Amino acid sequence: MTFYAPFCLPFLLGATFMFAALVWKWGRWLKRLPRKDKLLIRKGIFSSATLRAIREVLLESLIHRKICRVNPLLGYMHMSLAFGWFLLIVVGWIETVFYMGFKWVPVQGHVFFKYFATGIEHNAGFEFLMDFLLLMVLSGVALAWAKRFMSRRMGMRRTTRHVPGDRLALSVLWFIFPARLVAESLICALYGGGGFLTGSLGGVFAMVFPRDVLIYLNESSWWIYSWCLGLFFVALPFSRYMHIFTEIPLIFLRAYRLKSTEKVSSYDHFQIEACSRCGICIDPCQLQSVLGVNDVQSVYFLRDRRYHMLTREVADNCLMCGRCAERCPVGIDLNTLRLNSRDKIRNMPADRRYSYLNGIDRSSGTGKVGYFAGCMTLLTPRILDAMNRIFTASGDEVWWADKEGGVCCGRPLKLSGETDAARKMMEYNTDLFRKHGITTLVTSCPICLKVFREDYRLEGIEVIHHSEYILRLIRTGKLRLEHGSTPFTYHDPCELGRGSGIYDEPREVISAVGTLLEPRDTREHALCCGSSVANTAISDAQQLKIARSVTSELEDTGAEVIVTACPLCKKALSRGATHEVKDLAEIVAEAMKQKFS
Amino acid sequence: MKRVIIIGGGIAGMQSALKLKHRGIEPLIIEKETELGGKLRGWYVLFPSFTPASDVLNELRNQVQKAGIATRLNSTVESFDRDHVILKGGERLDCDAVILASGFTLFDARIKEEYGYGLYDNVYTSADIERMLNEGRVTMKNGERPKRIAFLHCVGSRDEKVCQKHCSKVCCITGVKQAVELKQFFPEADVFNFYMDIRMFGPGYEEMYREAQIRHNIHFVRGRISEASPTIDGRIQIKAEDTLTGRPLHMSVDMLILLIGMRANDDNASFARSAGLERAENGFFAPRDQFLGNVESNREGIFYAGTITAPKNIGESLNDAAAVADTVAQYLGA
Repeated sequence: MTFYAPFCLPFLLGATFMFAALVWKWGRWLKRLPRKDKLLIRKGIFSSATLRAIREVLLESLIHRKICRVNPLLGYMHMSLAFGWFLLIVVGWIETVFYMGFKWVPVQGHVFFKYFATGIEHNAGFEFLMDFLLLMVLSGVALAWAKRFMSRRMGMRRTTRHVPGDRLALSVLWFIFPARLVAESLICALYGGGGFLTGSLGGVFAMVFPRDVLIYLNESSWWIYSWCLGLFFVALPFSRYMHIFTEIPLIFLRAYRLKSTEKVSSYDHFQIEACSRCGICIDPCQLQSVLGVNDVQSVYFLRDRRYHMLTREVADNCLMCGRCAERCPVGIDLNTLRLNSRDKIRNMPADRRYSYLNGIDRSSGTGKVGYFAGCMTLLTPRILDAMNRIFTASGDEVWWADKEGGVCCGRPLKLSGETDAARKMMEYNTDLFRKHGITTLVTSCPICLKVFREDYRLEGIEVIHHSEYILRLIRTGKLRLEHGSTPFTYHDPCELGRGSGIYDEPREVISAVGTLLEPRDTREHALCCGSSVANTAISDAQQLKIARSVTSELEDTGAEVIVTACPLCKKALSRGATHEVKDLAEIVAEAMKQKFS
Repeated sequence: MKRVIIIGGGIAGMQSALKLKHRGIEPLIIEKETELGGKLRGWYVLFPSFTPASDVLNELRNQVQKAGIATRLNSTVESFDRDHVILKGGERLDCDAVILASGFTLFDARIKEEYGYGLYDNVYTSADIERMLNEGRVTMKNGERPKRIAFLHCVGSRDEKVCQKHCSKVCCITGVKQAVELKQFFPEADVFNFYMDIRMFGPGYEEMYREAQIRHNIHFVRGRISEASPTIDGRIQIKAEDTLTGRPLHMSVDMLILLIGMRANDDNASFARSAGLERAENGFFAPRDQFLGNVESNREGIFYAGTITAPKNIGESLNDAAAVADTVAQYLGA
């Protein structure tokens, strides 16, 4: 049996081109990784991390477990295409081995086996299995067609808009498997064999067309099938289908603990090109659902960044609430990529900025426990007042870092992309904390909390949010609270919940003073208040619109008071609420049994 | 006889009713409070002439009573259209036209939490000062006489952060008036006004502003107060920037007075929906035409008077009322 025919050429050239492009792209990205990332890879490659990565590749790249969880129908579509195609290749290879034994068969021999293997006795089991797999892939293609035209039916309000490379690849991909079905059926029509799908369709063809027409159609259909494959492979490295292969190295690199940082790095490429542009990130975005802003979501941000057409408007217009990252089936670190894009656009060397901070110290009091109110708490003095009463009741000696005004924690500047300037503030505050010898740092602002935990080097100082601090006081009996009958609802601040993983502490505190009613979107899925410091693009009126949509959901719980644990959320929500909005500290201070002047 | 329902029994509502009655049209005033008078009931003396507010109020009330104008007190309007008004509770009142004169709402200073209103002692609003002047007793919380007083302009006006972009127009002159009044009460005290711009639009206002500086030695500092915090002795520590000298400024004061702005009523939204009326971005109603249809709405048979369309002073609201009576009379062919 020979394994060559002229129609194989488009496929062969396309596949060669694609693998060359892949090797070139990945090779370049890997080579440009910073030294410390390369060290991480060297350390991780012979560890259990590799095994974990293999398992994840199977679950995510083939079976698409995470998409299945978010949206079962969409998950099935991805799985049937990816896993189905993969099995077609694997089972096809086994089939070749079954018929031919372990002897070398060129790659086109495997791919177009049906065309070449006309003279052999067919095994019904393989015929059935291969037809079944083809049907599975075809059902995925059908769903993909449906998704294009009726995205709502698929449980998505919106589907992604594409760049030209995608359109080519997408159109060809749609036709690869129908072409394969026709080609294989025509072979069956001419030479017999085939399973329930190709065999039956072949029977129909044999009845309809005379033999000379069949011969002509058969040749043409294999050419078409090969062209579809070839074109798809050529378009792949330039289209979103790059994700098919890129997700695999990404999973490995992530297992070796490579991370994107506030400065762009070569590792970012793996994340950016692993985006399949599935569009799952569009629906949870409140800029989309409340404001109708349709071109800034993560999928478009990554697309624009990949094709070097990112504008400042797109980079800046994001709340960085993390609702999309929470759902991303590929687990791309969307906020950090957005952040380092902003850094690239806006960061300026800050050698001489903020030199006036040297030597300033407006802090007051002494104690092992330090309290950093943060700018927003200073602008919401009810929280400050409540914290003062709680500290007095606790009996802890407290050092007040910024009661009389202090230096910003640096996170707002960092989020705007001015990371070097932000460093200046971080250094100033770090020195201040060290100078006063505190061992615990309490803050009532989750924005400050996140930057203290992630960007400050505060070894030896425990950084906690006031919700954690208050809960500790309650548990150790230092704070005795009156349990009242007020029904509360709780708004998870983005930086506290998704940002720092603190969900339970505030809830436990609220339950200690009253009844807690959960809103529809809660915990990991909680809504953003809309006034995030990360977004410098939307107007106050737009922020208010988002706030109103959030408060109406919170008020629907029937609660009397909206509780949150972030001074910025408090300010944002009280603009849009008809109910009272209070910080956790306020309701605790009101429920304290100890009375202080 | 044609019947016109006037929603709101403040000065614009009362004046509209009087002018309609003179033309032989039967007005009915619907007022949600227990008496007529609206916001004017809370004011002490009026700028720039220092005329007692009660003079104006009593005169209007007496005339309304003498003219035998029908009023429904303690009644809240649920919805309306040009030929009827539905009260809360479901009662329906038919009419031939409606004048919407339900005024404005004072900005809630607690929303600007950084100024500590309702949280610290000795932080007041301009409305509190009018009340205290009416009661004849202006003091600090502990009963002492203040030695240093700061007024802050534009609280809840021209402030995008609280979504009140518009100028409330009358707070500047109110600040000057109250500063003069407090200076007369406490001649030994230093009185400061912190402002962005001083907008003296009315007759006699600019003169009063100059007099406040020259004769009463009231200090005007261009710069907003950013934060206020309490001191241990119960005073208020304020942070501001003097933008004319470009220097940050810290100061302790005995009283901080917030000149609160005028905002659109909450029920404007539902009124607009039920009657198909157009509103401006700031929530006040948009007249049919800024020049030639200033008291008319975009719907025939529904008219506006007073601060329902924008912040206005008392004189302007009363003039609106006269104009709306004329327009309504023409509309009804009376």
